[in-house]
Amino acid sequence: MKPTRSDRSALAAFMAPALIIMLVFFVIPVIYVVVVSVLKWNGISTATFTDIQNFAKLFKDKAFVRSVTNNVIWALVAGFIQVPLAMVMAIILSRKPAGWKFFRTVYFFPQVISGIALATLWRAIYNADTGLLNGLLRSIGLGDLARDWLGTVDTAFPAVLIYWVFYVGYYMVIMMADITTIDSSYYEAATIDGASDFQQAIYITIPLIKRTSLLTCVTLASVLGLRQFEQVYMLTNGGPANRTSTMVLYMYKKLQDTNYGMASASAVILIIVGVIFIVCIRALFNIGNDEVRAQKKMRRAVK
Amino acid sequence: MKKLIALLLAMVMVFALAACGQQTAPAGEQPAAEQPAAEQPAGEIVINFPSIWVGTDSKAEYMGKLIEAFNEENAGAIKVVVEEQTDYQAYRDKIRTTITTGSAPDICILDTTFDIKAYAESGKFMDLTPYLEAGWGDTFTDGAFDAWSVDGKVSILPFESAVFTPIYNTEILAAAGWDHFPATYDEFFQMAEDVKAAGYNVMGQMAGDNAWSSMLWYSLIVEAIGGKDVYANGLSDPAFVEAAKVLKEMYNYTFDGAVSATAGDVNGHFIARDTAIYLNGPWWIANFYKEDNAVDGKLLADVCEVAVNPGYGEGKGVGGLVTTVQGFLAAAKQDDPAKEAAVVKFLQYVTDPAHVSELALSSGAMFFVKYTPSPDTNVISQKVTEVANSAEFTILHVNGAFPTAFSTEFPAAVSALVLGEVDEQGFVDMLQTAIDNAA
Amino acid sequence: MTESRVHHKLSPKEIVLGILRWFLILFFAAYTLFPLIWLTISSLKTNFEFLALSPFALPAVPQWQNYANALSVAGLGRMLLNSVFVGLLATVFNVIVASMSAYCISRFRFNGRERIYTLFTAGILVPLNALMVPYFVIINKLGLYNTYGGMVLLYCAIGIPMSTFLIRGLMDSIPMDLEEAAYIDGCGFYGRFFHIILPLSRTGIVTAATFEFLTCWNEFVFANLIVSSEKLRTIQVGIRYFTNQFSTDYVSMYAAIVISIVPSILGYILFQEQIISGMTSGAVKG
Repeated sequence: MKPTRSDRSALAAFMAPALIIMLVFFVIPVIYVVVVSVLKWNGISTATFTDIQNFAKLFKDKAFVRSVTNNVIWALVAGFIQVPLAMVMAIILSRKPAGWKFFRTVYFFPQVISGIALATLWRAIYNADTGLLNGLLRSIGLGDLARDWLGTVDTAFPAVLIYWVFYVGYYMVIMMADITTIDSSYYEAATIDGASDFQQAIYITIPLIKRTSLLTCVTLASVLGLRQFEQVYMLTNGGPANRTSTMVLYMYKKLQDTNYGMASASAVILIIVGVIFIVCIRALFNIGNDEVRAQKKMRRAVK
Repeated sequence: MKKLIALLLAMVMVFALAACGQQTAPAGEQPAAEQPAAEQPAGEIVINFPSIWVGTDSKAEYMGKLIEAFNEENAGAIKVVVEEQTDYQAYRDKIRTTITTGSAPDICILDTTFDIKAYAESGKFMDLTPYLEAGWGDTFTDGAFDAWSVDGKVSILPFESAVFTPIYNTEILAAAGWDHFPATYDEFFQMAEDVKAAGYNVMGQMAGDNAWSSMLWYSLIVEAIGGKDVYANGLSDPAFVEAAKVLKEMYNYTFDGAVSATAGDVNGHFIARDTAIYLNGPWWIANFYKEDNAVDGKLLADVCEVAVNPGYGEGKGVGGLVTTVQGFLAAAKQDDPAKEAAVVKFLQYVTDPAHVSELALSSGAMFFVKYTPSPDTNVISQKVTEVANSAEFTILHVNGAFPTAFSTEFPAAVSALVLGEVDEQGFVDMLQTAIDNAA
Repeated sequence: MTESRVHHKLSPKEIVLGILRWFLILFFAAYTLFPLIWLTISSLKTNFEFLALSPFALPAVPQWQNYANALSVAGLGRMLLNSVFVGLLATVFNVIVASMSAYCISRFRFNGRERIYTLFTAGILVPLNALMVPYFVIINKLGLYNTYGGMVLLYCAIGIPMSTFLIRGLMDSIPMDLEEAAYIDGCGFYGRFFHIILPLSRTGIVTAATFEFLTCWNEFVFANLIVSSEKLRTIQVGIRYFTNQFSTDYVSMYAAIVISIVPSILGYILFQEQIISGMTSGAVKG
């Protein structure tokens, strides 16, 4: 809608708080980060201008390149495996099977358990000696597969990633709430036409949540994947040999080294990678979406 | 409409609450501002001290008493307010940030992960030299300040020290047919074979988390090979590559999963009595006497013996000892001379030999202060002190000898080495690159 | 509609799907309950049992004193209250500010709209660890160091981009014609916001609020950075009471975590009923 004259002041009043917050807590600090990203500075001595050397150093550092790749993989897995899993569970539970309220609550629990506890648990599960996973493999005669899951080059990153994928509660709750707002007459009509549960999910539920909660969850999961820090920090601290490092962890380590220049440069790259990612996701969800085109057309008409 | 009213009401309530919240905790950089003005006598100097010697730290109890006593003695004149910090990493982040932004706390505790030299040069900390020269300095151990003073001035005070020497389980060595601890690394690996054959782990290594145990072993081997002046040429000394070879070899004699292990695993294996040798600082000694860790009624201390770092072939390291500064005391520069005097008074109080003796007894920690150890000191602590006193020379633990970037990179480098991603030279190169990037 | 299906004779395909469905439901339940059970069991061990024996063995004797230890931490209750207080306030402010801005961005075309939205989107990606120095300075300059106000403001602020994003996403899906109709009926800017858009975007607002509250609840770095007084400490600081420079008293820490989880789970269960009933009574989509 195009704002009318009287709307304009109201619009300004409504935008003001958010804009002020954005200015003070994001724009100014990010300008600071960008400035520091071209400096050599340890936080205490005088800073010197270094051009784009910090960025050059970053791309020469294998650990950083691996962090970027890990983050991209993480974001893709979160957005396109974790969220679809959550969607399946949301569709199943929104059909209200016995005990669905109980399960809906239980699935959410990991969100309130401290990350430290989850990390120690999973370290214990993956432990080479006493771990549950190796114990399980040995008991079913697959002892040859037992290994130090978090200490082996090939398995460390998948191990860190996979356990997290199955904690779907948060996204599930978001999508379930959305599914409950779907008009039940759609399903009734479909049932009369003889559509199975599966067909109803594919042809009614998913299209109706696609542009709302599904898009939200995919973006959210990808963003959290790109910002991933705490899980990795506590589970592996980026090891072995930087195999599980992520951009924020990398940046955090540079901060510890009081290498503020490179830390800031990696923050800048994270923001850029992230924006590209979000733009791609939005494009992906908009392609061929008639509803959006119709909406756009309507807005243009109103204007 | 109802909803609108409800929403507005909620907003008003929230604003009111927020206002209350702010009143109960008025703004101010000093915690002192929390005290209602009436309770605070005029002219009282408040010293703000974020401390990690709190909570479950072994120094917490006595430090608490000491500060309380100091506040009582100086009631009305000086008050030390402790900001309790238990998570060391978060503490470091905070101290670094406050120092960078020019609002350093009056007193803080630093360790070698801070760039002590740069801090000392920055001029943001109080110059303690005049006070030390006036006699206070004599109460510290000889040469305590050598490595940390800048242009002959001391502003960051080494306080808590640590020595690193192996401690071994005599029962496990006996089971492997050894009645003594090896004197050389050649002999060490013979013993390692025997211990392994007897079904035990030789020592705990860890490349997970901060790779603390492996970094300590690395320091010991570097000392054994390179001796006193090994740090003179940075990482270019061939001792570092040679030591990497030995460290890698040690990973054949540790428990499964050492590459991803953390301190909890290393400690767990040793107290479970399946690992022969333990290496950590003196703060861990208290665990040797904990009933919790007793097996069949025997304390860990009953079966353990203190050893010295073995020598290495023709190495230069015989008689040497690896040490570090575990805690520095630093005070922010003060404009007000009265406050400066108060801060110095408190620092002198804490470092007073009589107090330090008590602190050492209650915590098991060691200090850069000359004090008479209490006769009640436990046997293992006494033996560690003997080892320390009989050392012909000392070198710093690698994490103190190199910039922080070395320690941050170490876990990645050691795991890459052990997993064969890099060779020994590659391991040293990784560390060198990390240092260069940060420099 | 469910009833009509019950009388159906189940086809083999439906039976397989039914089994698969229950397998999934139970698998995820076990997967999420396991950490909680493990945590509770571990919190009843001795440190020796926890470190030296199998991490999945049961304690020989339940160590209830771990809970006594955890409760003896000065002010654990207060820390919990602080977390709830700060989290709720920050969340309320956050969603109010975010829904206002989301409304403008979603429903109006004005100059710079897309640029502003890009700014918000980029804000989601900013790694906050990199902002420790500027945030510390800003909070100090505002005179809010070591205050509830500082924490509430900072938590509210860091969640604005995410909340705006979440709420806008939902608002975008509300058909324009509803609003057009109201506009023609003479309903003004505020009227449309409060009567049409806000009620219809409840799902988005609740999603944003939950996310924001969880962020506040789990936040530790800034809780430690901008607060020095014990009176203002939050539960995440309390949980770390049992770690020190050299070791962690895991079992007592776990007891503290269990204690801190109980109110949050109870709160969630209660809150959840409110949210869900609020959401389902809203408009339907189609």
